[in-house]
Amino acid sequence: MITAKKMGLSVCPACHKVNEMVSHQHKCRRCSHLFYQRKPNSLQYTLAWAIAALICFLPANIYPIMIVYSLGIPEESTILSGIGAFIDYGLYPIAVIIFTASIIVPLIKIMGLFFLVFKVQTGVRLKTEKHTKFYHVLGLLGPWSMLDVFVVALMVALVELGFVSTVEAGPAINYFTLTVLFTMIAARSFDPRLLWDEETELDIRQIDNTDADKNLVKIKE
Amino acid sequence: MEDEALANDWLACHQCDALYVHPQLNDGQRAECGRCGATLFERKVNSIERTFALSVAGLILLIPAIMLPIMGITLAGQYQEASLLDAITQLIAKGYIMVATLVFMFTIAVPTVKLIGALYISYCFKCNKIKPFLLHFFRAYHQLDSWSMLNVFLLGIVVTMYKLLDDTELSIDSGLLAFVLLLISSTMVTVSLDQHYVWQKLEQECIDDNG
Repeated sequence: MITAKKMGLSVCPACHKVNEMVSHQHKCRRCSHLFYQRKPNSLQYTLAWAIAALICFLPANIYPIMIVYSLGIPEESTILSGIGAFIDYGLYPIAVIIFTASIIVPLIKIMGLFFLVFKVQTGVRLKTEKHTKFYHVLGLLGPWSMLDVFVVALMVALVELGFVSTVEAGPAINYFTLTVLFTMIAARSFDPRLLWDEETELDIRQIDNTDADKNLVKIKE
Repeated sequence: MEDEALANDWLACHQCDALYVHPQLNDGQRAECGRCGATLFERKVNSIERTFALSVAGLILLIPAIMLPIMGITLAGQYQEASLLDAITQLIAKGYIMVATLVFMFTIAVPTVKLIGALYISYCFKCNKIKPFLLHFFRAYHQLDSWSMLNVFLLGIVVTMYKLLDDTELSIDSGLLAFVLLLISSTMVTVSLDQHYVWQKLEQECIDDNG
């Protein structure tokens, strides 16, 4: 497999132009974006942001995200108890959507990034193709965790009926927003090409003949 | 200049770093990485015209989608309605400045800047007014892609409706229609803008300018 790195080339992350890497840090010839052949300290940054997200995820679940005042009596609800309320009402699809968006997605993102960092670091049973797809999916999932924040924002603006019923946001909304933000930054810090670098090194040791047809672009209509 | 011509013939996958000779595609075809399956680039049909039309449509819908009430509730004889902007101002009023800023960024600022950017780029291409500074402009435009969350907000509207359905009388307002149309046009702008073509064209023009 011929990679850009082997040829002393690198693709600009902003405009996807192939550049010759004469120095460690390079300014793209087309769009003047400053970049490196691989994101520097990519694994460390990914790990740091993922841990930060995990730390924020705890208070996001412990503190109430929404406080409902009906006839002056406050009733606090956390993310989990909000999901429980939907189950009580029998609205299972909505419960599943919120559970996925606000519990499963952040956890999968954080754990998945830990997993990818671990795989790149150790190189144990690395299935590059699968892992690259997994990383791609993690990137797509990211924004959907904002769902709960948007719901609370809308509820606060809508249910503003004085003494009868008022909804206020709880402190968890801050931590939850930070969790989403940090997981998105963590996913962006990860460089998927690191997954493939390991494989490229293996290729040198055991020359693979089936590689020839892999070096062709597939053209689809 | 020789090196430049050489590097123009290369195409590298941004996801797995595989290096290819730049293939020639016809309109409507798509090049896919043979190693990891990522899309390398596409030749989109009528990209500039479509982007121009859709971004104009999006910008027209922008103000009603933000300002008009999305839905209203009636409870014990009281009526209350809220728009996207109300949701943000309420968060500010309650002291959640950081959350309000991020919601504003993801649902208003980024989509607006993206639409204006797409309109400006397609206008410059239509009228052949390509200037070197567009290179920087388009790079900045590129960075915004993953921060637009209109689709998530729409799901948020649906969930809020279900939350309020039991206890209150719910009414849907014209803002929701404008918002859905805005979401559709902003998504289609992203789909129809051929970034590979824009970059290649900009590069050609700017090399001409320099030489």
